[in-house]
Amino acid sequence: MGEKVIPADVPAVVLDGVSKSFGTNTVLDGVSLTIDRGSIAVMLGPSGTGKSVLLRCLVGLLKPDKGRVLVFGEDVAALDEKKARDRKKLFALRRRFGMLFQDGALFDDMTVFDNVAFPMRLHTDMSEAAIREKVSDRLARVGVAHAEQKFPAELSGGMRKRVAFARAIAIDPDIVLCDEPSSGLDPVMSATLDELILELHRTLGMTFIIISHDTAEARKVADTIGMLANGKLVTFGPAQQVFAENHPALEQFFTRATVGPIKVV
Amino acid sequence: MDKLLRSLQTLGALVVFIGQVARSAVTPPIYWGETLRLMNVLAKRCIVPVSLAVAPVGAVISLQGIEIFKLFGAERMLSSFLGTAIFREYSPALASVMVAAQAGSSIAARIGTMKVRGQIDALAVMSVDPVRYVVVPGVIACVIVAPLLSVLTNILGIFSGWVFAVPLGGIDHGAFMEHLTAQITPADLWIGLGKCSVFGLGIGLIAGYLGLNVGKGAADVGKAANDTVVSTIVLILLVDYAVSMALLGAGL
Ligand SMILES: Nc1ncnc2c1ncn2[C@@H]1O[C@H](COP(=O)(O)OP(=O)(O)OP(=O)(O)O)[C@@H](O)[C@H]1O
Ligand SMILES: [Mg+2]
Repeated sequence: MGEKVIPADVPAVVLDGVSKSFGTNTVLDGVSLTIDRGSIAVMLGPSGTGKSVLLRCLVGLLKPDKGRVLVFGEDVAALDEKKARDRKKLFALRRRFGMLFQDGALFDDMTVFDNVAFPMRLHTDMSEAAIREKVSDRLARVGVAHAEQKFPAELSGGMRKRVAFARAIAIDPDIVLCDEPSSGLDPVMSATLDELILELHRTLGMTFIIISHDTAEARKVADTIGMLANGKLVTFGPAQQVFAENHPALEQFFTRATVGPIKVV
Repeated sequence: MDKLLRSLQTLGALVVFIGQVARSAVTPPIYWGETLRLMNVLAKRCIVPVSLAVAPVGAVISLQGIEIFKLFGAERMLSSFLGTAIFREYSPALASVMVAAQAGSSIAARIGTMKVRGQIDALAVMSVDPVRYVVVPGVIACVIVAPLLSVLTNILGIFSGWVFAVPLGGIDHGAFMEHLTAQITPADLWIGLGKCSVFGLGIGLIAGYLGLNVGKGAADVGKAANDTVVSTIVLILLVDYAVSMALLGAGL
C-alpha cells in the first residue's frame, strides 16, 4: 500500500502523560506506557475506569486534554481531524489499525459478509474472488460461517462480537485493538478466539492491544499486562513480572475479592 | 441573546459543513456504488407518493380553470395555464417536498442511527471519511433524483389535467395540445428541473448535517428526521416563492 517504512525500534504505541476528562469527571490521569511492536498487551481494569476511552484516544476518536499519543512515532493527539492535511495523516495511520468496538459497531444495513468485506473492498485491490475466500476463511475461524448472509440484527450478542473481530482483522492490520473480545462468549469460543489471536500474532506479527475482564485470557495471551484503576495505570509491564509482583489491585481482580484497592462507588 | 448566539453558531457550523461536503464532492474518492444504491432506494421510495400527490393537482387545475376560463370564453386556452403551472411551480415543488419527506427523513434517520450506534466512528477508524461515505452520496442522490421525479410529475400532472379538460371537460384535444406546446418552452422545463436540483441539494445537505449532529439516543434520531422534513419543506416553499418572483421580474 506504499506505506513508509518505520524503523524496527519504534514502538507500536507510546502514551506519554495522557489525561482525559469529561467535564469534572477525570477519566485518565497522566497515563504513560509503551507497547512494543509484535507484542500482545492486555489491559485490565474495573468497569468505567476509562479503558475504552484509552482505545479511542489511540485512534484519534477522542482527543486527550494533555499528553502525547504516539503511534509508530506519530502523535495522533496533535492531529486535528478538521484540517484536511491532518485528516489525511490520521487516516493513513488508522489504516494500520483494526478495531473491535466494545459493542461491535457492525453496519446494520450490510450482511455479515459485507461487513467483513468492507475494509477489503475499500482499502485493498483484492479481487472479489479473493475477498470471498478470505472473508469465508475468517468467518469460519470465528465460528460464524453459517451466518454469512444474515444481518447483524439477526445475530446473537456473541456472534456479533465475533463478526466484529473478523472485520477488525480483515486487512491484516499492524495493530489490532480489541475492546473486550471475550465478553459475552462461552469459554470454548473464548479460548478459540484466544488461539486465533495467538496464531495471527505468530504468523503475521500483528500487535494486539486487548481490553479484558477475563484473567484466564490475560494469562494465556499476554506478553504485557497493564491495569488501569481510578484513572491511573497502577501496574504495567511484562506479564511474568507483573504476575510476580502481584499488585494488590491485580490480586483483587484475580481473586474476585470485594475488599481491596478497587472500590465500587 | 443566548439563543441568538447559538443560532449563529449552528449557522457557522452548517457553513463549515457545506464547505467540507463541497470539497469532498469534487475530490476523489467518491463512493459511486453507495451513491447509486441510495439513488435507487430513494427513487423507489418517492415514486408512488409523488405520483399520488401531483395527479390530483393537475385535475384540480383543469376543473377550476375551466370554470374561470369559461367566463372569458377562453377555455381553449386552459392548457397553456395548466402547462405553466405544472412545469414551473407544482411539479418541482411537489417533487421536492416529497423528496424532503421521504428521502430527507430517511437519510437523516440512517445517518443519525449510524452515529448513535457508533457506526460513524467505526467508519472513521476504518479510514473512511463519514462525510464522503454517508453524506456526499445522499446529497448527490437527492440532486439527481429530485429532477428525475419532476420529469415524471410533469407528465403525470399534464396527463391528469388533460383527463379533466378533454374527455371530461369537453375541450377539443387538438386545441389543448396546440396551446400546451405553444406555451411551454424549454426554459420552463429547465427552470423546473433546475429548481428541483437546488432543492435536492438543500435536502441532502440539511439531512446530512442534522443526521451527523444527532443527539444521543433513539428519540434524537426521530427528531433529526423530523427537523429535516420540516426545515427543508419550509425552505423549499420560501425559496420557490423567491425564485418565482425573481424569474417573473427578469421576464423569464
Ligand atoms: N463520550 C463521553 N462523554 C462523557 N463521558 C464519557 C464518554 N465516554 C466515556 N465517558 C466516561 O468515561 C468513563 C470511562 O468510560 P469507559 O467507557 O472508558 O469505561 P471502561 O473502562 O471501558 O468500562 P467497561 O469495562 O465497563 O467497558 C466513564 O465514567 C464514562 O462515563
Ligand atoms: Mg469499555
